[in-house]
Amino acid sequence: MFKGGEILTNIIEVDSVSKEFNNTLILKNVSFTIKEGSINGLLGPNGAGKTTIIRLLNGVIEATNGIMKVMSFDPRLQGNEIRERVGMVTESASLYHDMTAWENLVFFSKVYGKFDPKRITDLLQQFDMLAFKDQLVGSFSTGMKKRISLAKALLHHPKLLFLDEPTNGLDPEGINEVIHFLRKVNKEEGVTILICSHVLHQLETICDSYLFLNKGMIVEKGTKKQLEEKYLKNVNLLIETGLKPLNTHCYKGYTYSIKGPNQLEFKLSTKEEITPLLSHILNESWVHNCEITNRSLEALYFHIRGGKEVE
Amino acid sequence: MNKNIILTIAVKDIKAVFSSKKVWVPMFIVALMICIAVPSCIAFFGLQFDLIGTSTQEIEKPINAFIKDFPNEEMRNTLAAFPTLSYKFVYFFLTFMMIPFFLMVAIINSMVTSSNSFVGEKERNTLESLLFAPISIKDLFLGKVLASLIPTLGISFAAFIICFIVVNLITYPYFEIILYFNSTWMILMFWVIPILVLFNIILNVIISAKVKTFQEAQQFGGLLVLPIVGIIISQASGMFFLSPLTLFLIGVVLLIANLVLVKLVTKFNNRNALFQSQIH
Repeated sequence: MFKGGEILTNIIEVDSVSKEFNNTLILKNVSFTIKEGSINGLLGPNGAGKTTIIRLLNGVIEATNGIMKVMSFDPRLQGNEIRERVGMVTESASLYHDMTAWENLVFFSKVYGKFDPKRITDLLQQFDMLAFKDQLVGSFSTGMKKRISLAKALLHHPKLLFLDEPTNGLDPEGINEVIHFLRKVNKEEGVTILICSHVLHQLETICDSYLFLNKGMIVEKGTKKQLEEKYLKNVNLLIETGLKPLNTHCYKGYTYSIKGPNQLEFKLSTKEEITPLLSHILNESWVHNCEITNRSLEALYFHIRGGKEVE
Repeated sequence: MNKNIILTIAVKDIKAVFSSKKVWVPMFIVALMICIAVPSCIAFFGLQFDLIGTSTQEIEKPINAFIKDFPNEEMRNTLAAFPTLSYKFVYFFLTFMMIPFFLMVAIINSMVTSSNSFVGEKERNTLESLLFAPISIKDLFLGKVLASLIPTLGISFAAFIICFIVVNLITYPYFEIILYFNSTWMILMFWVIPILVLFNIILNVIISAKVKTFQEAQQFGGLLVLPIVGIIISQASGMFFLSPLTLFLIGVVLLIANLVLVKLVTKFNNRNALFQSQIH
């Protein structure tokens, strides 16, 4: 992969990893790589094994089979080396509610052996939490706790950031804030990010590449472009227009269906058909909006699940 | 072993104990009532008003018989030399019956803090964060043990010093002996209690790391009070006398038990086992 013109190395390499717990196979033969400096989505329904993968990569649980390398370290044998370089945002904010934001960050920075009041102040500022630093975390909203949790994960200048369902319990504004901060951290500090989530549309704008997990197996992986090329066989184009075609199913050879007042959805075989179609419509009427509806991450995910038989 | 991390964890936990009134107030009340109020009241009312001597003449005979059969000669002679039954009772109670009370307070207070150690982190969802940090499980255990040991011993020693001053102020004019300033009490306070507290804490921390809820931890920890109840009964019945040598030997046995527990803790030095048993 190229980012900013340079060839990126693998920061995570997972090869044929399986995990069994209480005689149940939670992960089956999972293999993938993550490029340094990228933002990656590990997507799948609840119980797919996303959290298990993060725990394995941190060396807090052991794989039953397979090989893993995180920053060239083996999680089984060099867990602490990995944990020193990794930031972790767990699903629950994992903060002490009876301590202030500042006390929480001081405690965790000391636990990581990287106590630096300036870094704590900078992070609080970066996450717009400096004004609340002396308030008890217990009095914070879910979004504020999430921001402190993110600051906590970045205290020790990690190279790699794992986030487990980071948008859970957040309102749309909170979700946007988290996405904004993650992009900023990735850009400014060069941190590689792996986000686990089951809410696909939230990650659409931020991830460079995706791993789709289902029932403990990686069912697909790649960038959105790669996935589109593989799965997007036709284009559904929703157009908000004043056009009222005489033929109820076909307009200039393009089939369509009426989706609502002034809303027509055209079925095209390629993206190249979009421009001529629009120019035909614009000759006859107005166009206010135009959107491909079947290229969203969620739509792709259903394609993938529908296209590949999973156990 | 990383001293800074152990201290960071210990300081955080001690602050948590003293930031919650619901935790530290009962700890202080237990110590105040059992180690200071009870002996002071017994000393004051027993000697000042001669309560036992005037109201219960009929029990003098069995008590004198008990003193006569008492296993320790020094205590027997001292008790026999006192002029009234009240003097005998007060002296006997303060020097002899107070021992298990101090042991009990140390056990109860250490249990309050230690049984919460791992389970408390788990219930606040913070154990996961600690296990994801680059700290060894041994340092985490040691931090937790230290966090329980310091407040428990602090309260026990403070209670002993206050009890020493108050009780002696009351009793010295009558007995003309400084109570508690003897080998039995010194061995008790500075040998047996620290080792007992440490034993109780390590055991409770292990239990806390194995059970799922704070309630379960309290249930298991509560069992440790039973031997102390046994000591109270044996003391009261005169079956068993806690001489300096006995106390010293109890300390040695507990010390060996502590070493066994520490060995057991090193077996728990497995992040995966702790994670899989506690985090879901």
